[in-house]
Parts: sequence; structure tokens; C-alpha cells
Amino acid sequence: MNRISVALEFRAALLAMLSALMVLGGALGSAALMRAGIERSRTETAAANKGGSVLSPIAAQGAKLFSLNCAHCHADDATGDEGPDLHGLTKSDERIKAIITNGIKGEMPSFRKKLREADQEALIGFLRSLK
Amino acid sequence: MRTSPILAANIWEMMHGGSTHLPIALMLISAVFDGLGCVIRSVRLREQFHAAGLFTLIAATLGAFPAVLSGLVLARWEIGGTGPLFWHHVFIWPSFALLVGLSVWRVIVRGRRSKAGLLVYLGLAFLAALLVSAAGFWGGEILLINS
Repeated sequence: MNRISVALEFRAALLAMLSALMVLGGALGSAALMRAGIERSRTETAAANKGGSVLSPIAAQGAKLFSLNCAHCHADDATGDEGPDLHGLTKSDERIKAIITNGIKGEMPSFRKKLREADQEALIGFLRSLK
Repeated sequence: MRTSPILAANIWEMMHGGSTHLPIALMLISAVFDGLGCVIRSVRLREQFHAAGLFTLIAATLGAFPAVLSGLVLARWEIGGTGPLFWHHVFIWPSFALLVGLSVWRVIVRGRRSKAGLLVYLGLAFLAALLVSAAGFWGGEILLINS
């Protein structure tokens, strides 16, 4: 194959890498921006719920996990939708962990594989911050 | 009126489920077509397989955009995550970038490629097919966990 085609291939490869980086950067960047907006509004809501106090780091991590895994059913502000309101829970930490791990037959899926021990602790930290 | 979060999630789930399988299948078949184009003796057939590989690759890349967008909305714009979602993303981002890069390269070069260029392309195309399959596997794991 002649030099012209190799040169073309190199130029095409450079353009290809540039395009891939631009598309990937655009997707990841816009997602990060949207995510930051969601988290900011969530933190503001949580702080407002707590009378202006700021969440502890573990509760903030729990709030993030809640938004990803639980908000679909328990609503963004945990006041309940398909699932119940989670404010002022009276169940023990162990009982909450058991529910997260095993789910509730016919009502709530198991999060055994998705949420590890540390994730569950963070979620409980967040749930306890809800008043 | 507030849209039910579970209804909204279901719509995006359906859109993501409906839009992901086509690009995965097209990427796999594109790699197979180009692979066949390298081993078949007939020059005419070889070119036809490469042409089919190119068009399926372009279709896969175009189809990947709605798949990625619906997935991002479904995951509430999370680009990392935990558990299976994390692994889904580990494989989806490089495969998405590879898909775009390979399509751009193929569209520019078309038939004016060297043998070495084609071999490098094929290696990357099979890598993209593997990555996108792995991303699909972890996507299925998310579904199983949530079902």
C-alpha cells in the first residue's frame, strides 16, 4: 500500500480520536453538570428539611445513594410515592439493613448485590437525618 | 401536576431497553462482517462484506446516541455509580468512544485502507464488540437486581 493511504489513515485516526474524545467529553461533561444540579438541589432540600443544618459526609453519601436507588419509589424528598414515607423511621438500623438487603416480597426489590454494608450504613445515616 | 417518579423511570427504562439492543447487535455483526471480509477469497464478496461492516457500524454508532442518552437520564446523570451500574459504565464509556472513533475512521478512509490499517481496525472493532457485550451483561445484571 502506498504512502498516501498510510498518511490518510493516520490523519483519519487522529480525527477519529479527536471525535471520540469530543463526544465522550460532551456526554460525560453534560452528565456531570446535570448531576451536580441534582445534587445541589437535593442538598438544599435536605438542608431545608433540617432547618438549615448541613448533612454529615456519611449522610450526604447516603443522600446520593438514595437518589440513585430509592427515590424512584420513595420520591426525591423521601416523602413516599409508590413506597412509603421514610421520615421519622422507628425501625432499628439492623431491621432497615435487613429490608434493604432482602427486600419485601411483592413490594420492594432486594438490594443485596447493589448496596454493600458501607452503602447501607450511609443510607441509614441519610434516613436518620430526615425529620 | 407531579409526574410519578416510578412512571417516569419506567418510560426511560423502556426507552433504554428498546434502544440499546440494536447498537449492540449491529456492532457485533459489523465486526463479524469485516472479519469475514478479511478471510474470504473473492474480491467482490470481500468488498461487499466490508461495505456491510461499514454501514452496520455507522448504524450502531447512530443508535448508540439515544441509548446513551436514555441510560444517563435513567441513572439520573450518574456516570459512575456503585455495583453493577459502576461496571456497566466501566464498559460502556470506552465502547461508546471506540464506536464513534471507528466510525469516523472508516468514513474517512473507506476503501483506501492499508492491510495493516485494516488489521488494527479489526482488532479495535472486536475490542469494541467485547466491551459493548460486557456493558450489556452488566446492564442485564442491573435489571435482575431491580426485578
